[in-house]
Amino acid sequence: MKNKKYTLFAGPYIVWMTAFIVIPLLFVCYYGFTDGEGNFTFDNIAVITQKEYYGALGLSVLLAVICTLVCLLLAYPLALILRNMKMKKSSFIVFIFILPMWMNFLLRTYAWQAILDINGVLDHILAYLHLPAFNIINTPQAIVLGMVYDFLPFMVLPIYNVLIKIDDNIINAARDLGANYRQTLIKVIIPLSFPGIASGIIMVFVPALTTFVISDILGGGKQLLIGNLVENKVKADNLNLGAGLSLILMIFIVLNMLFTAKYDKGQEGGRVL
Amino acid sequence: MMKRQIKKIYLFLILLFLYLPIFVLIVASFNDSRILGTWKGFTLKWYTQLFENDAIMTALKSTLVLAVMAAFLATVIGTFACLTIHKMKKLPKAFIMSVTNIPMLNAEIVTGLAFMLLFIGIGMSLSFSTVLIAHVTFCIPYVVLSVMPKVQQMDHSMYEAALDLGASKSYAFFKVTLPDILPGVLSGFFLSFTMSLDDFIITHFTRGSGFDTLSTKIYTEVRKGIKPEMYALSTLLFVTVFILLLLINKAPAKKEIITRQEERRQRILRLAAGIICVTLITVSMVYSIKNIFLKPVSGNEIYVYNWGEYIDPEVIRQFEEETGITVHYEEFETNEEMYTIVASGARQYDVICPSDYMIEKMIKNSLLAELDYENIPNIQNIGKQYLERAEGFDPENRYSVPYCWGTVGIMYNKKMVTEPVTSWEILFDETYRKQILMQNSVRDAYCVALSYLGYSINTLEEAELNEATNLLLRQKPLVQAYVIDQVRDKMIRNSAALGVIYSGEAIFMQKENPDLEYVIPKEGSNVWIDGWVIPKNCKNKEGAEAWINFMCRPETALMNFDFITYSTPNEAARTLIEDEEIRNSKIAFPDAEDLKRCEVYHYLGSDGDLLYDKYWTKVGAD
Repeated sequence: MKNKKYTLFAGPYIVWMTAFIVIPLLFVCYYGFTDGEGNFTFDNIAVITQKEYYGALGLSVLLAVICTLVCLLLAYPLALILRNMKMKKSSFIVFIFILPMWMNFLLRTYAWQAILDINGVLDHILAYLHLPAFNIINTPQAIVLGMVYDFLPFMVLPIYNVLIKIDDNIINAARDLGANYRQTLIKVIIPLSFPGIASGIIMVFVPALTTFVISDILGGGKQLLIGNLVENKVKADNLNLGAGLSLILMIFIVLNMLFTAKYDKGQEGGRVL
Repeated sequence: MMKRQIKKIYLFLILLFLYLPIFVLIVASFNDSRILGTWKGFTLKWYTQLFENDAIMTALKSTLVLAVMAAFLATVIGTFACLTIHKMKKLPKAFIMSVTNIPMLNAEIVTGLAFMLLFIGIGMSLSFSTVLIAHVTFCIPYVVLSVMPKVQQMDHSMYEAALDLGASKSYAFFKVTLPDILPGVLSGFFLSFTMSLDDFIITHFTRGSGFDTLSTKIYTEVRKGIKPEMYALSTLLFVTVFILLLLINKAPAKKEIITRQEERRQRILRLAAGIICVTLITVSMVYSIKNIFLKPVSGNEIYVYNWGEYIDPEVIRQFEEETGITVHYEEFETNEEMYTIVASGARQYDVICPSDYMIEKMIKNSLLAELDYENIPNIQNIGKQYLERAEGFDPENRYSVPYCWGTVGIMYNKKMVTEPVTSWEILFDETYRKQILMQNSVRDAYCVALSYLGYSINTLEEAELNEATNLLLRQKPLVQAYVIDQVRDKMIRNSAALGVIYSGEAIFMQKENPDLEYVIPKEGSNVWIDGWVIPKNCKNKEGAEAWINFMCRPETALMNFDFITYSTPNEAARTLIEDEEIRNSKIAFPDAEDLKRCEVYHYLGSDGDLLYDKYWTKVGAD
C-alpha cells in the first residue's frame, strides 16, 4: 500500500520525465526514420555503411577510447595522492577541479588553440628556452589533448570520492598481513574503487565520443568526428539525417547504461558526479 | 623523500595543465591586442568598456538568471524525486533512475537536437522558457546523483519519531529530513548551477534567437573576433568565485574548540548566505516570470534579425531616438540557422539580412514581402552596379536592398610568400604544405576549386563537382586547417602563410598585421551581397521599411562601414570616407575589371544542396 502512495507522489516528476526526456527521444526516432516528406525510411541509419560515415564514427570511437585511457592513467595516481593528503575539507578538492568550468568552455578551448598554434604561446616559450617548436595543432593528438583537458575532472572526482571512502583499517590490515604496497594497491584499493572507475569512464567516454567543438577548434576541421557530422547536418537544415546519426550514437549510450548497471549495483553512493 | 617530491611535481603538473588556458585568458584580458596569444601591451580598457557593453551585460544577466533558476528548479524537482523514488519497489525504481540519467549520459548534441525537435514539433516558440526547460532537465540527474546517497543513508526512523512526537509532516520534513540531506541538496544545487553556466551545446539548440547566454554570445562573436571584454568578464567571474571558495574553505580551521563566539559567527554567516540565496532566487524568479509571461507591448516596434556583430550599436540607438520605434535586435550565425527559424515560424521578424543565395531561396519559397520603394527613397544612394548585380538573385530588386558586399579571395603573408600571388593555383602548391588555411564551408571551399578549374561556382554538373572534389582531396594534405573565422586570428598570429577569406576581414587584418595582403585571384571568385528583406509574416512593415531607409542613409552606412569594415554598396557613403587610402582601397572597392569574373552564389535547390553536401562530406571524412 505504502509503495503505491509514494508512486503517486512521484507523479509530477514522472510527468516531467516523460515530457522532457522520453518524448523528445521519440521525436528523434521519428525524424531518424522518416525523410523530409515524412515517409518511412531506413536511409538515415543506412548511411553509416558509407565510408565517410563509418570512418568518422570509427575515428571518434578510437579518439574517445584513447582519451578515456589517458584520463584514467592520469586521474588514478592523482586521486590516490589527493586521498593520501588527507585534506580536512574534501570539498576543496572538488572545487579545485570544478573551478575551471567557471571560465567558459569555448573560451578555454580557444585559449588552447592560442597556446598550441604555430607561432602560438607555447612556441614562443619554447623558442625563449631555445627548445624546438612543438607542433600538434590540427592533428588528432591536439583533439585528444583538448578532450583530456575538458573531461579530466569527470574522471578524477568519482575516483577520488570512492577512494576517500575506503577505510584506512582495510589498507592497514592488508599491510599487516604482509602485502607490500603494490599488492595492496592491486588486490585491495583498485578493486574497491571499481565503481568510481566505472562512473569515471562513462562520464568521460560519451562526451569525448560526441564532441564537435573541440575537433573544430583544435583539430582544424581536418578530422571530421561523428559529432561534427551531426552538427553539419543540423546546420545544413537536414534534420532527418542528423536525427538518424543521433540514433546511431544512442546505441553507445545504451551500451553505457548496461555497463553502469553491471558495475553500479547497490553502489549509487559511490557516484558523486 | 624522493617519492614525496615526485608526487608534488605530479600534482603541480596536473594543476598547471588545468589552469594554463585560464592563465592565458586572464593575461588576454589585460592585453591591448584583440587577438588571443599576441601581446601588444598592458591595458585596463577592456574592463572599463565591459560595463558599457549592453549586449554582454544582458547576456551575463540572462546567464545568471538562467543558471539560478535552472539550478533551483532542478534541485527542488530532483530532491522531491529522490524522496519519492527512494521508496519505490526495486524494478520501477531502477527504471526511473535509468531514464533520469539519460540526459547526463546521452550526448549533449543528441539531447540538444531532441529538445529542438520537440519544441518545433509541438510548435513552442524557442525562447527563454525552452532553454530553461532544457537546462532544468539536464541538471536534474546531477541533483539526483548528489541527493540520492544522502537519502539512502538517512535514518528514516528519525522522521517517524518526529511524527510520533506530534510534529506535523511538513514540520518533520523541514526539521528532520531536510537538514539530514542538506549537504547533498546544496552540492546538487552548486553542480547544476555550474553545469548550466558552462553549457553551450544544449543552449545553442534550444535558444531560438531572442535569447543569448554568455556561451552563445561568445559563439556569435567568433565571427568578428571574440571581444576582449569577454576575457575581462570571465576573469572577474573566475576571481570572484575563487575568492568566495577560499573564504568558505578557510572559515573553520580546526574543529576541536568551537567557542560561542565562533558559533555565533558561523550562524551569522549561514544566515547571510541563506538571505543572499533567497534574494538571488527571488530576483531570478521575478525576472523569468516577466520574461516568460509579460511581453512588453509598445505601440511601435520592429524585430530585426541580423548577422552577429554586423552593425554599429550606435546606429540602432539613433534610429530609435529619431523614429520612436523600439528595436528588438537579434543575431544569427549562419544563413541556414536563420532560415530554419524563420521558415518554421518559431519567431517572427520584421526585417532580416540574409545573403544572396538565401534571399533567392526565400523568394522561391515565398517567404518574403515585396518592398514599397515609396518608403525607401534613400535607395538612390545605393550604387547602380550593386543593384544590377543583386538582380541575379532578386529580379527587379523587388524584395531586397543591398547592405554589405564583398569578395572571397586569398590573404597571404608577404614575409612567407615571396612570389606574386595572382591565382588560386598557389593553394595547391606543394611549397606551402601545412601553411594553407581553407574555408570550412561547402560553398566557399567549392568556390575555390571550381573557379580554379574554370567552372561556374553554381554548377550542378556531377562531372565538374567530381573533378573539384578530387582536387580538394588532393589539396587536403597541404591544408593546415579548415576554419571559418579563425583565418583572421591565425593569420594575424603568423600561424599560416595563406588563407581563404572574405574581403571585409582583410582591412581589419592588415591593421593588426601589416605583412598581410589580399588578392582576388585572376580566375575569378565569388562576389556576395547581404541585403535587407522583409518576411511575409512581418507585423510592422512600415517600421521595417523605415529601418531599411535609415540603413541606406550615407551617414548611417558610413558608421556601419567604419565599425564592421565590410564594403558598403552606398556610393554616397563612400565619398564621405575621410581616409583616402581606405576610400580608394582595392580591397574594399575592387575595380570593375576584377569583379567581372566574379559570380554570385545561387540557390541550388534542396537537391543541389544535398549534392554539394554529399561531396563535401567525402572531403571532410577522408
